[in-house]
Parts: sequence; C-alpha cells; structure tokens
Amino acid sequence: MASPDHLFGLRNSFYIGAYHAAITSSQSVPAHALISPDDLLDRDAILYRSYIAIGSHQLVIGEIGPSAATPLQAIKLLALYLSGDAGNRESAVSRLRELLSDAATGSNPILRLMAGTIFMHERDYAEALKHTHSGGNMELLALNVQIYLQMHRADHAEKQLRVMQQLDEDHTLTQLANAWVDLVMGGSKIQEAYLIFQDLSEKYPTTCTILNGKALCSMHMGNFEDAEGLLLESLNKDAKDAETLANLTVCSLNLGKPATRYLNQLKLACPEHTLVKRMSSADDSFDRACQAMA
Amino acid sequence: MLTKFETKSNRVKGLSFHPRRPWILASLHSGVIQMWDYRMGTLLDRFDEHDGPVRGVHFHATQPLFVSGGDDYKIKVWNYKTHRCLFTLHGHLDYIRTVQFHHEYPWIVSASDDQTIRIWNWQSRTCVAVLTGHNHYVMCASFHPKEDLVVSASLDQTVRVWDIGALRKKTVSPADDILRLTQMNTDLFGGVDAVVKYVLEGHDRGVNWASFHPSLPLIVSGADDRQVKLWRMNDTKAWEVDTLRGHMNNVSCVMFHAKQDIIVSNSEDKSIRIWDATKRTGIQTFRREHDRFWILAAHPEMNLLAAGHDSGMIVFKLERERPAFCVSGDTVFYVKDRFLRFYEYSTQKEVQVAPIRRPGSVSLNQSPRTLSYSPTENAVLICSDADGGSYELYIVPKDSAGRSDYLQEAKKGAGGSAVFVARNRFAVLEKSSNQVLVRNLKNEIVKKSPLPIATDAIYYAGTGNLLCKAEDRVAIYDLQQRLVLGELQTPAVKYVVWSTDMESVALLSKHAVVIASKKLVHRCTLHETIRVKSGAWDENGVFIYTTLNHMKYCLPNGDSGIIKTLDVPIYITRVVGNNIFCLDRDGKNKLIAVDASEYIFKLALLRKRYGPCYDGNIQIAVASAKEIDDKDHWYRLGIEALRQGNVGIVEYAYQRTKNFERLAFLYLITGYLDKVGFMCKIAGQNNNLMGQFHNALYLGDAKKRVEILENAGQLPLAYVTAVTHGLTEIAERIAAELGENVPALPEGKSHSLLIPPAPLTACGDWPLLRVMRGIFEGGLDATGRAELEEDDEAAGADWGDEDLDIVDASEVVANGGDGFVDVEEGEPNEEDGEEGGWDLEDLELPPETETPKAAGNARSAVFVAPTPGIPVSQIWTQRSSLAGEHAAAGNFDTAMRLLSRQLGIKNFAPLKPLFLDLHMGSHTYLRALAAAPVISVAVEKGWSESASPNVRGPPALVFSFSQLEDRLKAAYKATTEGKFPEALRQEVDEVKELIEIVREYVLGLKMELKRKELKDDVTRQQELAAYFTNCKLQRVHMRLVLASAMALCFKQRNYATAAHFARMLLENSPQEAQARKARQVMQACQDKEDSHQLNYDFRNPFVVCGATYVPIYRGQKGDVSCPYCGSRFVPSIEGQLCTICELATVGADASGLLCSPTQLR
Repeated sequence: MASPDHLFGLRNSFYIGAYHAAITSSQSVPAHALISPDDLLDRDAILYRSYIAIGSHQLVIGEIGPSAATPLQAIKLLALYLSGDAGNRESAVSRLRELLSDAATGSNPILRLMAGTIFMHERDYAEALKHTHSGGNMELLALNVQIYLQMHRADHAEKQLRVMQQLDEDHTLTQLANAWVDLVMGGSKIQEAYLIFQDLSEKYPTTCTILNGKALCSMHMGNFEDAEGLLLESLNKDAKDAETLANLTVCSLNLGKPATRYLNQLKLACPEHTLVKRMSSADDSFDRACQAMA
Repeated sequence: MLTKFETKSNRVKGLSFHPRRPWILASLHSGVIQMWDYRMGTLLDRFDEHDGPVRGVHFHATQPLFVSGGDDYKIKVWNYKTHRCLFTLHGHLDYIRTVQFHHEYPWIVSASDDQTIRIWNWQSRTCVAVLTGHNHYVMCASFHPKEDLVVSASLDQTVRVWDIGALRKKTVSPADDILRLTQMNTDLFGGVDAVVKYVLEGHDRGVNWASFHPSLPLIVSGADDRQVKLWRMNDTKAWEVDTLRGHMNNVSCVMFHAKQDIIVSNSEDKSIRIWDATKRTGIQTFRREHDRFWILAAHPEMNLLAAGHDSGMIVFKLERERPAFCVSGDTVFYVKDRFLRFYEYSTQKEVQVAPIRRPGSVSLNQSPRTLSYSPTENAVLICSDADGGSYELYIVPKDSAGRSDYLQEAKKGAGGSAVFVARNRFAVLEKSSNQVLVRNLKNEIVKKSPLPIATDAIYYAGTGNLLCKAEDRVAIYDLQQRLVLGELQTPAVKYVVWSTDMESVALLSKHAVVIASKKLVHRCTLHETIRVKSGAWDENGVFIYTTLNHMKYCLPNGDSGIIKTLDVPIYITRVVGNNIFCLDRDGKNKLIAVDASEYIFKLALLRKRYGPCYDGNIQIAVASAKEIDDKDHWYRLGIEALRQGNVGIVEYAYQRTKNFERLAFLYLITGYLDKVGFMCKIAGQNNNLMGQFHNALYLGDAKKRVEILENAGQLPLAYVTAVTHGLTEIAERIAAELGENVPALPEGKSHSLLIPPAPLTACGDWPLLRVMRGIFEGGLDATGRAELEEDDEAAGADWGDEDLDIVDASEVVANGGDGFVDVEEGEPNEEDGEEGGWDLEDLELPPETETPKAAGNARSAVFVAPTPGIPVSQIWTQRSSLAGEHAAAGNFDTAMRLLSRQLGIKNFAPLKPLFLDLHMGSHTYLRALAAAPVISVAVEKGWSESASPNVRGPPALVFSFSQLEDRLKAAYKATTEGKFPEALRQEVDEVKELIEIVREYVLGLKMELKRKELKDDVTRQQELAAYFTNCKLQRVHMRLVLASAMALCFKQRNYATAAHFARMLLENSPQEAQARKARQVMQACQDKEDSHQLNYDFRNPFVVCGATYVPIYRGQKGDVSCPYCGSRFVPSIEGQLCTICELATVGADASGLLCSPTQLR
C-alpha cells in the first residue's frame, strides 16, 4: 500500500478554496507524519499561500524572513506583488526574474508557479508560459490550463487538461481544471462543469469557490434564480468574497434586480477586481464614444 | 443452499411445514414428534406417545391438527393447541410409512408395510378405503393436490396411481345406510371406491418415494436403484419420461419444487441434489459429511424446504429471494424477472427499463445480488454470484423507459462486488489480491488500489469512498488519499444503509443493527434474535428496519421498538413520514402506512425538542408518557403542555409527579381557588407547613395563616398577622398566650393587606386553532390584494377634484417612462449581415509573441507560446448588428453608431447606465487557482442541453422585453392602477406598441407638468388640460384626465368646452361619483358659451407638438417627427433633440427600429 499523503487534506482544502480550513489544518498536521523536510516546506508553502488567498499579504511578507527557502521567497514575492503599488510590483518582478535566472533555484516548481501567477497578473502570458509550460506537477499544469483560458485558447487548455487526466483523473485539481475548461467552452459542457462542482460540494465542505462555480454554471445555463441562491449562500460564508460579490452583481443585473449595492461592496472590498476595472474602463470608453458621436 | 435453521436430534424420518405459521414438525426415529419454530429457532412442543419410530407426520391445512403414523401401527391425530392426541386410528397391520391429510375432505391417506394404502375419515374416525395391489411394503402414498388421485411407491418396484373419484362422489352424496354394509365388504376386498389407474414400472429396485407435480400431469419417483424417474400421464396412460442418474445410494425422497422448474431429491448417499426439470440435468449437489438423508418437505406457500437426516434436520431455501435494489432520489431501481425496473415514489409508478442478461449457467443463485445506480449517467451495475462473482454494467438511455424491446450488450467483468463510487467511476473488488479496480463507464481500469483490510464486500460510502467489509469489521477507505477514514468492529455486515445526508450509516448484519456516524464512530448496536432483513432512514434520523417478522424503529440513542408485525418478509426501500415503501419477495413495490407517532415522540423527547408534541400530538404524548411513566418524562410533558396552554394535561403531569407546589400555583393562576384550598389541606396532611402557608397566602385566608403560624409555634408572627388583618379576637387570645412577649407593632405606617385578587373566571385549556395555515394565509392575502386594487381605483376617483396633486405621480410616470424608453436602446437591433463587417476595424490584436523566447530557461528551448485567441465578446461584435449586443461586449462606440443610424439617436447620456449594465452583466468571474487572476467567462443567450461546446452564442442581455413590461406596469400603477393590456405575442410589434404608449404618456404628463407651472395663464392651462385629453391613455387615466379638464374649464366658465369634456367623460364609463358630477356639469353648462377662446378644436383631429404643446391639426403641413419615439413636432423644432424620449434628433433620417433578428428575414 502506498504511503498516505499526509498533506492531502491540506492541499485539497487549499484547492477548493477552504483557506481557513487549510490554515487551521496545517497546524494540526501531525509532526510524526512529516517525515521529510520537503513535506514541511510544502506545508508552509500552502499555509502562506492560503494567507495570501485570504488577503493577509502583510502577514506573509512579515513572516517569511530573508533566510527562508527559495519557494517561500517566491511566495513572499507574490504577496509583495499583490499587496503593493506599482513600485512594489516592479521590484517584485525584477527580484523574481533574478531568482528565475539562477540555475540553482530557477527550476523549483513553487517558484515557477509563483512566476506564472505574477506574469499572469502582468498579462504577460508568454512569459508566464515560459516558466510553467513544461509542467512538472499538478498545480503547474492547472496553472497552464488557466493561462490558456485567459488567453482564450481553450484548445491548448484542453490539451493540458488531458495531460492532467492521464496523470490522475480523480485529482481535485484535474476535476477543477476540467470544470474551468468546460465552463469556458460552454454549450453542453456546462452541465459537465456543474456536475463536477456538484461532486466536489458533496465530497468536501462547501466553499465560496465551489458555490461560485456552481452559480456560474447555473448562470451560463440561463438559470439566474438558482445562481442567486447559491451566491447568497456563498455571501453568507464570506461577505467580502470578491468573486461572490462580482458574480452577484452580474446575476442581479440579469434578474433585473438592483445590483448597485453589491457593486459598491465589491469596490470597497476589492478595488482591484477585474469587474471593477472593467467597469471603470467601460465608463471611460462610453464617455469617449459619446464625445466621438457628438 | 441457504440454511435457515438446523436441529440436532435423533434420526428424522418425517417432516411437515405448517401452512401459515413458521413451524415445522419433525418425527423422529426415537418416537418423539418435535414442533419447532424455525424462525425463532426454538422447540415449541414435543409429542411422545408413539411406541417406536414415527415415520409419517403431517399438518392439517386449516385446523389446529396434525397426524402421525408410526412403527406401532398406529395413526394418531393430535391437536397441537391442546397438546393432546385426539384419537388413534387402528387398522394397519405393520409399520406405517407416511400419513397425509387431504387438502379438502376429512381424509387421511396412510401407507404401510402391510402392503396397503388406507384412506381414513378423521371426522368419523373410520377407515373409508383400503387400497390393495402392492405386493411389498408401501413406502409412501399421497393425495394429488387437485385431482382425485393418489400416488404410491412400493418396494415392489412399482409406482401406482389410484383413482379415488368414486370415493369422493360417495362422500359428496353419501349412500344410504343399507348400502353401507356391502360397502364394507367390498372395502375389505379391495372394492371399487379406489381403483388402480396406472402401474408405473421401470425402477429396478424398490421405490421409496413418488410424488405428483403441483400443476402438471407429472410424477417423480426415487428408488433403491439410485435413480430418480420422471413419469408423465394423460387420461388413458402413463409412461416413463426420463431418468435422472447421479445419486450414489438409495434415493429416499424426491419432489418437484412448487415455484421453480426443478426437482429436489435426497438420498442415503448423504446428498441433496437439485435437478433441472426441463433439461433433466443435475444443477447442484449439497453433501453432508456423515448423515444419510431420509425425508424432504416443501413449504406449501413459501420458498422453503426441509430435509431430515441421521442426526437432525435442516430448513433451507435454494435461492435468495431478496430483490436486488438501489434507491436514488425519488426512485428505486430493482430487478424483477430478468428485467431492470424502477419505481417512482412520488407517482407510485413502475417502469420496466431494460432486460438483463440470463446467466450462462443454470446453477442456482445466479440472479442479481446487488445493484448500484449512478444517476448522472443513468448507469446500473448489477452484481451476481454467476461465474464466481461478476458484474454487469448497463447504461440506460434516458428515453428508453418503457421500451421493453430495448436490448443492449452489457459490459461485464469478474469481481466479488462492484459499486459506483463517483461520477463515471465504479470500484470492483478483486478478492484474490484484496484490491479494488476503479473503472470508468467504458469499463476501462482507471486505477488500482489495495485495500486496508481483508475485504469480502464493498459498499458505497460517499463520493470517492468505499466501505470495506471484512469478517469482523468494516472500514471506510478513501480511494484517492488511500486513507482509512474510520473503522469499526461489527458482526459480519450484510447490508449498508446510508442516511440521505450521508451523516449516518446503518450496518445490517444477520442478527444486529449497528448505527454509526459517517466516520464509523459507533453510536449504538441493536441485537435481534430474528434475522434482520432491510432498513431505511426516515427524515428525522430514525432508522426503520425489518426483521423476518417485525418492522421496528431505532432512535439515534439506540432506543428501539416494534412498529408492526409482518406476515411475510419485506425489504424497506424508503420511509416518507408515515409511509413505508418496500419491495416484497416477488419484486412488487408496496406502500405500508404505519403509525409513526410513538417514535417521533420519543425522538422529540430525546432531542429535548417538544415541537412535535403539537396539537393533536399532545394526546399521544400523554399516552406515551403514561407508557414510559418516569418522572422526567412527566416533567417534560408538563412543560410542553403548559406552553400549549393545555391546563388539564399540565395538572395531570404535576399530579403524576406529585409536584404539589407547582400544582397549587397552577390552580391559583388558573383561578381554581377551591382546588388551592384542597392543596392546602393536602399540605397540612403531609405536615408541609411551608406549602400550607403558601396556599393560605394564595387563598388570602388570613385566619388560616394565623392558625398555621400558631400551630407551627410561631406565636409572635401569628399575633402580628392577626392584628394586621383585624382579627382582634384571635389576636387577643394569642396575646394572652404570649403574655409579656407581645411584639410591638410598627407605628405610623399605613399598611396594606396581602389579599390576592379574586379570579373572575376559572380558565380551562387554551382554544386550539385548527385551520390549515397555508390556505388561510393565501386566502387572506388574495382578498387583501383585491381590496388594495379597489382602493386604488377609489383613490383615483378623487382625481377629478381640483386640488388633486398629480405632480408626484406624473413624475413617477415620467421617470418610469423615461427609464423604459431608454431601455429600448438596450434591446434592439440587427442590420443586414454586411454591417457586421465594419466592426472588424475595431479588432485590437494584442502584439503577437511569435518568436521563441530565448531565455536562459532550458525547459523552454523549443517552446513557443501560442498566440492569444479571440475573446468571446469580440466574436459577438463581429457577428451582430444589434446595438445591445455591442454594448454587452463593451464596444460602446459601435453600439452608438448603430443606434444613431437605426434610430437617429443623438443623445446617448441617458443610456450610459444601461450600456454599462449590459456590459457588466455579460461576463461572470471564475476564480481558478488561488491568487491568480480570475477568468472572465462570457454569458451566452439561449443555452440548451444539446448546445455544442465552443460554438459561441449571442450574449445574454440583462434587459428583456418582459422587464420592460414590468416597468410599464409599475408606471401605470404609479399613476393609479392598470393592467397591461394584451398578452404579448410578437416582440417587434409589442416593442413598437410599447414605445407608442409610453410616448403618449410622456407627452401628456409633460403637458400636465407645464400646466402646473403656469399658475397665471388660465387659458393656456385649459388648453394644456384639453390637449392632455387628446393623448391615448388607459381608460381609467382618461377618465381622470377628462374629469380634471372638465373641472378646470368649468371653473373658468368655459362652459361649452366643459360640457364637451363632461360628455366625453360619460362616454368613458365613469364611476358613479364621476358620472353624477359630469351630469351636473352638463346641466349647468347647457347652452352657455365659453368665456375664453381656446386653441382647441375637438372636432378637428390633431396631434400635439411634443416641444411647444400646440395642436397640429390634420392637414396642417410641414410637421416633423422623432425617428425613435414617433412624437410629432412643429417644423421649427427640426434638428433639435426630441423632448419626449430625449434621445433622438427630431426629423433625422433613420432606418427605423430594429430589435429582433426576425426583422431581417
């Protein structure tokens, strides 16, 4: 019998968006189970990434000292990148490039993962793929899927997904990536995506991520009432969850209900959210177009 | 062979099943007859009056009787209720081999070593026929189940069939007494009442047994030549059909199986053999180590057999009778007669889904054993013991239900058990290597996983988890993590039943029910002496299960009880409230209604929730409390009853617990003062001074209090009390007793006495409201609404009055209308396909990254990042010429250009929020990996299940016609009330109609606003009011407008015009008050002239200019209109922004409203 993966629960919690659960369970991973220092490092990496996911960037920046291992340094860079202004971002990117060019550390999967994530934020998908395309673990493959989807290249995303499926079809990340691809592809695939989220919600405690996933499927199937219910449930779990607020805004609009409150909440909770940015640029472009017409 | 019961005893020579009760008689070589309950496994009785071995025994079909025959030549008839031998029939001259009751007549047939068969009347206790002809021991004789025949077997190597038709006729119409004597004589010499019909020769040695087929003209016999022979007969002859060879020694007994096409035989070779009656081949052999078999018996109703051997007997059945089933949602899937079927609980409908494969071999117990269903794929896994354990996978097309012709090749495989574990995944147990193979629906192996314990069966345990069953334990195993999530020691588990929320599991083993949590944390264990058969969870977390003969419940704390007794075993599939759904052994779905109140009540007590003791249930609660009768339950009942105001039960509960203080207080607050007095007495009897004093206080009985205090020796207190209450006599008496110790009373204080208020009425139980809540509220609501609408109309009636404040309302209308007009922009438009072309200009291709990145990254040496694809929103704009779709894609400039071209719209500012909403509502946000940017996913319109992926549809727009309609309705409502006129059919026409309606309202209301502004110019005011009446409005609104104009004109002494409005008002079917007023106005205005000249000629059709509010009469040249809303204007306005819709340029050249793709065809 293969040795059980002691970090399985922890990783899984992180993937499905149960960040608080990940943080608490990382404390309770039994010490004897952590046979290798690698496991320990993995545990810390997930712990810090969970903190980033819930927006505690400063905590991560503060806790990871200069002597920490490369993967943790990379995570710190992500926290730095996400927390700060343009200056911070630039320094994070340049420090990242340094780490990447170092032959000793450049191939570390977590570093590459962080690089991919940061370059994605930079919208430099080619650069992101440069570091992640060769895969190496499930997370990198999943990131590739996401980058390709971001690039509107669902065909490539599907290929990556197939690689994941060959490696472990039942892996949570494979399931999730499958759902992402299905959602973006649309059509009959949305049902597939819905079923995947449904499976996950039956198997694990529901999270905002999963509820949002289900709600998205409902919306894309034209079922906005159901979606609203799911999103409100998600909002109950976390009143500040950016995606929940964004999707609620969209859902309310489609239901003909007032959406302004959700939008304002979103602006407060997450001024950097794609929706907010999109709308502010749309605002400008409307005015511009108006002037052009006048 | 499935052994149900086994006994150890002396050699068993005779056996007989009771036709209804679970009893069996076994007659022993030792002379004892035992009566067993084979279900409970207990010896009920023994009958020991025969001398020597008892070889034949038989239960009567209806009477509490059985008959036995032994080596003492005696036939005894017994009443098993009275445990007595009723009488003995003498006549045989040698050992009696078999005895049997006739199923209808009061006859017994017996076979004896004296070479005769005798038929006895057990009512007259006489022998009615002696069948002679065999010339050796007759080893067995039995009646035909339907016809007037007897079959016998003898060591003379023959089987004989006897016709007893004459005997039956004689019994039905008894011959007169004179004939009887001669009858006797013929009897003695083998008379004519019973004649040999056929003599079947063929066995080479003595025949031990022969028996009829229950329905076909067949006989089967077994002999010392070790052969079983099959015989056939018709009206005239009988002949040998076939011989079954296989037994190694004398065949003792042989018979046809009542329900299956098989023959069962047993032999002194220590085996029982099962033969296929059609193919005449051996199917199966059961062997015993040391015991020769002597006798077989079949249950007349059920699928049970019994066999007697040298050291006891066994009760067994050949095949499992439990139908394989699996519950999923509202349906149960099950197998019946080689068909997969399902049953829908809500509709109680059965549907045959698909035929399933016949097993390849004919051996027994090859039928489906378990069934697993995957709802997402509509796939069914059927496991059976065929081929040493195998499974078959059927994928049932959704629409095949009811199509019996549908046949499909199942995917097959070997494996101990197989069960779905997730979507598109099932696990198959491979016992030899103790691992599971996880397969997908294509039957391909996806994964192999070793199991943590030596598993002999697997069950579902939530997505991705398996419940593995070993001999003495179960474990839940996560296939992905390869982790044991929980483990529990249990007796060998047979069935696993999960609660609907998957939080609890019931593990059913042969004689125990174990309830555990989803992590297999033990909750309780129930032991049953009778085999546990099935179970299901009810919605409250009570586990309902069946044993062979009972339906029982098990509460979460392990309390259990019997719900009802069962006549035949059933398999519960589902519990809904009081309804138990089950399958019986014939695979029929049944619904059994039970009384669930007992366990529901107990559950409520357990959960310390008294909610369920509502209303009618409190009575049941009392009954239950009586039954339970412990202090705690009474106390809880009291609390609940008090909450419900059921005073009687509170009182009863307090009485039962002797809670006198509470009881007294209850009497006080409910006003039963006499009972308080009684309580006071009781307290006195119990020497409970405090209680007595309390009650006296409650009663306001000062004398009593003094008395109590006095008795208690509290003389000073008694004195003070007496003085305070002015009981001077008593006070003096006590003072005398106290002597010098008379306490000083406080001076100068005004005292008030503690006298409780007298009860006005004594109250009983609170009244109970027995009205169905839903209906009640619904009804109330409906009337409320209706009234509201009426009120609206009534309010509207006041509208005609001068001081009417129309401003607010009109503003709302204007706003609503405006909003609505604006919205139009969002919805429309499509132009010719060619138009799509120009959007391409806006295609902003991001800089391509084609050259390979020559970074110092070894991994990416040959990697070329693909070029980014085209966003869905861009596809939208490329394909569409509907402005709304362009707005949704965020291409506002093209959207505006489209609108400008189609509708001449110039002023886009009011459309901004709509454009932004359209854009905002067009994409959803998918968070993929944490901390990575979210993916925007385009929402498309008109999704359907069959839509092919990656083919882009148009965007789902956040505005729709139905929403516009809603807004219009809201606008109407704001004015007064209204109903949207027509059902909407054609979108385009409706949109146009809508625009028109709104235009009229906006124009009218704008004029009304203007009128309010013009305080001084009465002529203009009247004109505007008059023009307002020219707008096309809803009739109610028209009435209001007319009334308003009429009043205005009348006031200004424009009598002729006022009269005109009054007339028009009357034509508009006004309400009574309005009509009266209009008539008055008409009367007052008769033949009077206008005092002001108005620019208003109602005889000449006109439209009103939307900007200047002057009439444009028909024929008047040069008016211009708005390309969007169609408002008309005087020529001078041309080129300006339309004041009505505030969107388009008046007089602009435009192609017209396009709002639906249908317009392009």
